[in-house]
Amino acid sequence: MKKKIAISCIALMCASMVLSACASGGNSSESKNGKVKVRFASWDVAEDIDKQQILVDKFNESHDDIEVVLEAYGRDFDTKISAGMGSKDAPDLMYMWNYPAYYEGLEPLDSYIEKEGEDFKKNYYSALWDYNSIEGNIYGMPVGFTTHALFYNKDLFEEAGVDLPGENFTWDDLRATAKTISEKTNAKGFAFQMKPDPYDFEMYLWSNGTAYCDGKGDMKGKIDSEGSQEVFKMFQDMAKEEIAAVTEGNGTDEFRAGQVAMYIYGSWSINSLNEDNMNYGITKLPNFGSKPSVSILSSSGIAMSKDSKNKDAAWEFMKYWTGEEANKARIGLELPVLETVIESEKIMDDSTYAPFYEMLKQSAGYTPASFIQKNWSEVSENLSLSFEEMFNPSTYRDVKETLEQAAQQ
Amino acid sequence: MQKSIKKITPYLFILPWIIGFLVFTLGPLIFSLIMSFYNWSLTGKPQFVGFGNYIEMFTRDKQFSKSLIISLKYAAVFVPLNMAIALFLAMLIAQPVKHTKIFRTIFYIPSVISGVAVSIIWSWILNSDYGILNYLLSLLGIKGPKWLVDPGYAILAVIIASAFGVGSMMLIFYTDIKGIPSTLYEAASLDGASSFRQFFSITLPLITPTLLFNLITSIISSFQQVTLVMLLTGGGPLKSTYFYGLYTYNNAFKHHKLGYASANAWVMFVIILILTMLVFKTSSSWVFYQSENAKNKKRRKP
Repeated sequence: MKKKIAISCIALMCASMVLSACASGGNSSESKNGKVKVRFASWDVAEDIDKQQILVDKFNESHDDIEVVLEAYGRDFDTKISAGMGSKDAPDLMYMWNYPAYYEGLEPLDSYIEKEGEDFKKNYYSALWDYNSIEGNIYGMPVGFTTHALFYNKDLFEEAGVDLPGENFTWDDLRATAKTISEKTNAKGFAFQMKPDPYDFEMYLWSNGTAYCDGKGDMKGKIDSEGSQEVFKMFQDMAKEEIAAVTEGNGTDEFRAGQVAMYIYGSWSINSLNEDNMNYGITKLPNFGSKPSVSILSSSGIAMSKDSKNKDAAWEFMKYWTGEEANKARIGLELPVLETVIESEKIMDDSTYAPFYEMLKQSAGYTPASFIQKNWSEVSENLSLSFEEMFNPSTYRDVKETLEQAAQQ
Repeated sequence: MQKSIKKITPYLFILPWIIGFLVFTLGPLIFSLIMSFYNWSLTGKPQFVGFGNYIEMFTRDKQFSKSLIISLKYAAVFVPLNMAIALFLAMLIAQPVKHTKIFRTIFYIPSVISGVAVSIIWSWILNSDYGILNYLLSLLGIKGPKWLVDPGYAILAVIIASAFGVGSMMLIFYTDIKGIPSTLYEAASLDGASSFRQFFSITLPLITPTLLFNLITSIISSFQQVTLVMLLTGGGPLKSTYFYGLYTYNNAFKHHKLGYASANAWVMFVIILILTMLVFKTSSSWVFYQSENAKNKKRRKP
């Protein structure tokens, strides 16, 4: 009996040692050389992480008292951040876009920004702050962003003998162009996603004067409105008429392969298109009639955990990470967010990047449903299923019926 | 004193494992059972809701029963199919022909590849426009379906892809088949039994314990299937492959309902437990233990 007790005592001791080691390991805020340690989680992978590590190293070299450790979470970013917040062991700093889901675990930054003076905040594109705020409080510093724009394959346009999209290109123009291209070449004129992210897709509804829901989150009379039906019907019709391909992925693969002549996407694919030496162009989103088109903003920011033990050191790094030098270093990876950088680097003269800024300018003042709906992740999942029902060629469900049902949810 | 140390020694040897088990398995297990009675949105404080999560699951959440049915359907096809393929391959490599080692390796290789890589490979194979499977079918004059787009075919696509990892089960069958004394087969062939007859009257009855083991492990793994659907189909098209495992995962890490997801997981645990118990109950009527029989006979003799 005594032995049993002895054994269990040993086991307990060992277990508690392991556990305490874990606990102290996770929370240690000072590294061995007396520097303050700040953990920074990134969602990027591969070469992007290497580039970020170089930037982090630069910061560490110039600071004797702070050591920033870059943690690459990659694909598991959300899982790890969730688990980290749940166990009160979130990294001090992290990339962030989905503020509605995480803001309760983040530190409001307004007081930090105020300390830096008036001009500090002004230098960032103003539309970006809304996307990094919840209920008027800023929870993240803008790092990069992308709007959506229309990509077109110049070779296919030439082969079909149609004009390149000009100013005030409308959806009717796009349909006519897509029809000609589909008839005269082996490619389809246009492509859109079978299962678009509802967050992104709302921009088409905005462009046509409606939205998923009203300011209170009520979807009735909004998502099933005539304007909304028109949008979905138009996409469905293009697929049915076979002038548009419905893609399983985001469409970049099909566009790169020359299977489609036009598609709509963010700036994410620019690097891979350039690698292929594709002859392509980018322009603003098509308009519905005379209304200027509106794009969704996909923004990335850097946020601070509210449980961080070294908030001042973390803020120091945030300033560096969103400052001019870092903005310049990230060109190609992210679109810069500082007006001074856009001017000094002559970004607006670059026909590849300019459309994304033009879209940014004409897209201010819209609030995505994800910032309004309390349970957006579930709403989004239901919407996504509804969209797929309308766009999947094996169903092509009736638009009116589907949207009315979606409004009930 | 020395004696007591001697007795403790073996426990000390397995201590690392015991600690691992307590800290990384039993601890989280009990923690998740407790959490299943709470509403825990991750960033906030957990709130006690009693059986609220379980009531919600069985009365209001439609996706719960849908996902459960999808997983049951998958298990119903996957388990027998997987076992049949494994047994067939095991029989093949157990044949006394040259170079079986090479085939053994080839059949086992897919099991070495990680689930993520398998998913990516299959997403290329199954692509309806440029996938190799539809290309091969087109050579036979068959127009392949849109595997990952048509909800009618997607679950079949997942079953095909998961049958790829049949290797370890095959090996277990193989070692068991190899262990059957050749004298039995010799006697049977002298009596004029065909190889079919030999399979059904000798091989199959003698490997029933292995059959039972493989049945149970594959039932369990089929319910836990999540990697493949997460990466291959993402639960789609039209939620036709929204497996129970994916449903639980999404509740936890997408919707941040950790308490609810814990309840989901425990319901799955109970279902697996019941199924396993059922299999065990019926096993006495179809599983044949050689050694037991031998013992019984010995006991009866004197």
